[in-house]
Amino acid sequence: MLFLALRHLFSRKKQTILIFLGISLGTMMYTVISGMQEGMKEFVEERLMSNTSHIKISAREQTIKVKEMTELFFPDAGNYTDIEKKEKTFVRWLVPPYGQREEAHIIYPQGWFDRLRENNDVIDYAPTLSLNVIITKGKSRYASSITGIIPERHERVMSIEKYIQTGNLKDLQGGGSKVIAGKQLLENIGARLGDTILLSVGTGELKPLKIVGIIDFGVKHLDARTLLAHLTDVQKLNKTPGQISEISVSLYQMEKSQIIADQWKKIATDNVESWQEANANFLQIFRFQDIVRDVVTIAMLIVAGFGIYNVLSITINQKKKEIAILRSMGFTPRHIIELFLIQGVILGITGALVGLLAGFSTNLYMATIELGSEGNKIMISHSIIIYITAFLLAFISAVLASILPSFSAGKLTPIDIIRSEV
Amino acid sequence: MSIVARNLIKEVGDPASRIISNINLVINDGEFISISGRSGSGKSTLLYLLSTLDQPTSGELIINEKQITTLSVEEIHHFRNKHLGFVFQFHYLLPELNAIENVLMPARKNNQIEEKTEYAHELFKIFDIENKKNKLPGQLSGGEQQRVAIARALIMKPSYLFADEPTGNLDSKNGNIVMNILKETNLHLKTTVILVTHEPEYSAMADREIILIDGVIKQNQTRKNTIKNISDKTKFKKTITKKKL
Repeated sequence: MLFLALRHLFSRKKQTILIFLGISLGTMMYTVISGMQEGMKEFVEERLMSNTSHIKISAREQTIKVKEMTELFFPDAGNYTDIEKKEKTFVRWLVPPYGQREEAHIIYPQGWFDRLRENNDVIDYAPTLSLNVIITKGKSRYASSITGIIPERHERVMSIEKYIQTGNLKDLQGGGSKVIAGKQLLENIGARLGDTILLSVGTGELKPLKIVGIIDFGVKHLDARTLLAHLTDVQKLNKTPGQISEISVSLYQMEKSQIIADQWKKIATDNVESWQEANANFLQIFRFQDIVRDVVTIAMLIVAGFGIYNVLSITINQKKKEIAILRSMGFTPRHIIELFLIQGVILGITGALVGLLAGFSTNLYMATIELGSEGNKIMISHSIIIYITAFLLAFISAVLASILPSFSAGKLTPIDIIRSEV
Repeated sequence: MSIVARNLIKEVGDPASRIISNINLVINDGEFISISGRSGSGKSTLLYLLSTLDQPTSGELIINEKQITTLSVEEIHHFRNKHLGFVFQFHYLLPELNAIENVLMPARKNNQIEEKTEYAHELFKIFDIENKKNKLPGQLSGGEQQRVAIARALIMKPSYLFADEPTGNLDSKNGNIVMNILKETNLHLKTTVILVTHEPEYSAMADREIILIDGVIKQNQTRKNTIKNISDKTKFKKTITKKKL
């Protein structure tokens, strides 16, 4: 019936082209919008992941709470059931205690290390210590932060290596007062590779560190505040040997990070955060964008689908007597269903394919558009999944739209048609 | 090889009204039968019952020893494709296809286009529409369209040709041509022709005339002197018999 279906399509060129365009445009819209969104998502996710591990275990800020202090110093207060006695020992602070108990650090790192080493989901973990520091170079001062890492562990947990422009993460190995600095930071303080900068943690003591590498994430505010040094160097700087503030963990399955983080939360006194939680606002934006794209695409395809439905229904009505004669020639109801279903399927497939091609070329073009003067280009994803999804969406909506009219055509009997015609 | 109808009854509507009541009929191979009667007498309904397009309310229909009422949908359509040809008052040609594609449409069902193309060309020659082969139905006159429709009915060399007022929409000249074709088909191809008509002149060309009144056979008569054809047309005989089709 393909032969006759094609003839039908060609005999009403205008309608065919209109529906065809509708499907193509819908498919193209989906691929272009998806390409941009996925591209941006990949870009942002990559940057985020270079700075966020799958699971981050960080120290809890130890704030002083009035209730805890009261219980500590006056253990009897509040424990009385007798109202009289309770009134006697009622504690009223003239100045309620407040502030932080001590610098935030993970209280028992070895416990975490043991646990992580034994966990089968964990690839590796990397302890770090982050400090706020003041950089002194000549007469200028500059506030920044420094992160102490163990290079060989860190590069297994975060994709940081590829952002290092000059030098190597391994240069930090073994300590020795070396530091990798953000590109923007160096510009800001006017330092170059090989220079020595002085750092202080606020105690007045200055510690010299040599710049052995430059890192460039391409995100300005990050690059202006990044200093990487060996963990032991940073611990020495802070005069807190063995202290760490964060453990970054990488997992075999990134998708399981939320589930695993939730398990650990139950047993941990420290903060446990999955990357989804750490980047919740970004993920929300992505989800919102996905919804917008889906709504637009589905709206387009519904319009195209209704087009198919209408045209087929009208055609079937006009062609009743031809259906009757086909049946009298020995074409079965199945042939009749085929005849009209094929038309919808052809429109769906060709429309989708042309839409994919148009979407692909639009994406190729868009990837060359420069944003601003820095040479950054629009990130476009060419993921095959986008194209497969777009094709399936168009194809399925075309088939769905042609199923109903086709089956109603199949139900017509020759005798009913002949009787109603004469 | 024959069509046998036993106690055919057709009722329609609710409450049921009988259009065809208790018809017993035997149509032998190679006969030319006309069914006539007033409008509303049930003659078209009888034709559609005999030709499997309509199902009787009760009764039996046996064509070529096959109990039609027990056949599956696939089987019945296959049977129609192989053994039955139809000509209607309106030609019902497919407007998207040209004349020859229309004629070959039944062959398309079984992928027999190539085998049948030669025969199609012959039919066009016999029906004197050879130069119209590649024209679309819209470019043909009513008489030409009906001749194409007959060619389409004959392409599978059916044993039975059912014609429902094939001349009803034509002027007398074209009507005559169509009737001659039917008659010669019957004579030379030995195709059994069952014709519904209300024109006595055409009805008289049949070997046997059946007259229906209110769904009942009033007359079932074999003619002694049938009119062979209206204007002498020998072309048919020559081409067909030569080729031993």
